[in-house]
Amino acid sequence: MKRKDLILKLIGEMASYVLDEDPMRVVISLHQEEDGLHLAIIDDCKHSDEDIEQLEKTLNSRKRPELAAYYGAMTGHDLLGSSRLNLLGWQIKHSDVVRIGDGIKIDLWLGGERFDSRHFNIPEKEE
Amino acid sequence: MDIAGIGGALVNAALVGFTGLLLINLSGIEVSGPTFAAVLTMTGFGLFGKTPLNVLPIILGVYISARLIGKRMKDYLIIALFGTALGPLVSALAWELGLPVVPAVFAGLTGGIITGFFLPSIAVSMLHLHQGYNLYNMGLSCGFFGLFAAAFIIGFGHSWEGQLYWYTEPSILLMLLVPVFSTLLIFTGLIHGGKQSLKDLKAIQSIPGRLPSDFVDMASVSGALLNSGLIGLIGSAYIYFVGASFNGPVIGGLLTIMGFGAFGTHLKNSWPVVAGVIIATLLTGNSLNAPGPILAAIFCTTLAPLAGEFGIPVGLAAGFVHLLMVLQTGSWHGGMNLYNNGFAGGLTAALFVSVIQWYKTNKSEM
Repeated sequence: MKRKDLILKLIGEMASYVLDEDPMRVVISLHQEEDGLHLAIIDDCKHSDEDIEQLEKTLNSRKRPELAAYYGAMTGHDLLGSSRLNLLGWQIKHSDVVRIGDGIKIDLWLGGERFDSRHFNIPEKEE
Repeated sequence: MDIAGIGGALVNAALVGFTGLLLINLSGIEVSGPTFAAVLTMTGFGLFGKTPLNVLPIILGVYISARLIGKRMKDYLIIALFGTALGPLVSALAWELGLPVVPAVFAGLTGGIITGFFLPSIAVSMLHLHQGYNLYNMGLSCGFFGLFAAAFIIGFGHSWEGQLYWYTEPSILLMLLVPVFSTLLIFTGLIHGGKQSLKDLKAIQSIPGRLPSDFVDMASVSGALLNSGLIGLIGSAYIYFVGASFNGPVIGGLLTIMGFGAFGTHLKNSWPVVAGVIIATLLTGNSLNAPGPILAAIFCTTLAPLAGEFGIPVGLAAGFVHLLMVLQTGSWHGGMNLYNNGFAGGLTAALFVSVIQWYKTNKSEM
């Protein structure tokens, strides 16, 4: 898939998710590297701890190549109904969700096989 | 069963199912919701249309398509497994055109490979048409391709009409096959997950079911097995209640909806669609146990996500339209697409999705 198409799909699905909550402010930030990219989405809506836990679990779900290449085509495209972040979770390398102000910040990291995610300072998981 | 007898049909079904399992294993993919659904569907349709020989060329075609664009077989595994719905097209090209043996085998093999080659591109486009609200997307995709295949065959002067073989001999073995398997799944789920499996089963009932909803991931293995088993038991009870035959298509249908009990179908999102089919059957003067309506009542659960996402009235209406559609669509592709209900369901879902999207997009909020 062309990088531009992928980015458009990811932004579309994430925007659909955050706009479901009717936020007053949304910031979408894209940082591209040669072999990877970082997408950050910030909103100002209140989210429960359960919501955030579920969101992080969905975005960091196990990789499903048999579903990603086929059903992943619907990411950010077929938006009638609830947003489906699992479509997105299968296609990214890593995600973090943190509280920021009243809302949350969702960080998504993507990259090819040669992509070195350390350049983007993915936080180490605390044991 | 009407052609090869019960034993022959069961052995063929097992071989087709084993072919699917082997492909999953060779692709390095774990069995989960979609692959469980695919294997049970392949096994079920091994009772009425698929054979190991007519599915292999299609799988090979999907593999070639994947390699052409630099993907691996595992990326298109689901398309390859469900794409075998066009097995009868391979058989028709090989054995129904009146060709000598060698050209006949060549025609079947080439036709199957070409079919499989086209399926990934069609499958992805068809997804956008109904946005994941038709669980049997490969039914729609294969039906779409089947329209062209039928046009080509008929255009070159060959007549081809699907034939209906409907086994009606009562058999205790066939009657008990699905209920026993369903009970086994329920016990396995309960033993594996204990009380948690019941909680997961309850959680599954609140999932809309839109593609791709892998209940194994979204709930648990045990919850998915319980859901699958329950669907099998209730489906069998319905067949028994309306006095339909437990034959190849019916058992195949029950196995399919059990498979999708791990991938989108559950009792709460299914009943409105089934009720819609029953109402349409009665209002149109059809019999509930006739071949078309009984298969529609089973396979209409392809539209369960519409009820799961948009509510009971939409589910009822979708089921109603589905019955009327599915009684016509089989002749469009000459019976070459085994997932005729998936084809009709896809068209029905596309209609409902279009209207709902138009309404939601244009209705003024201010």
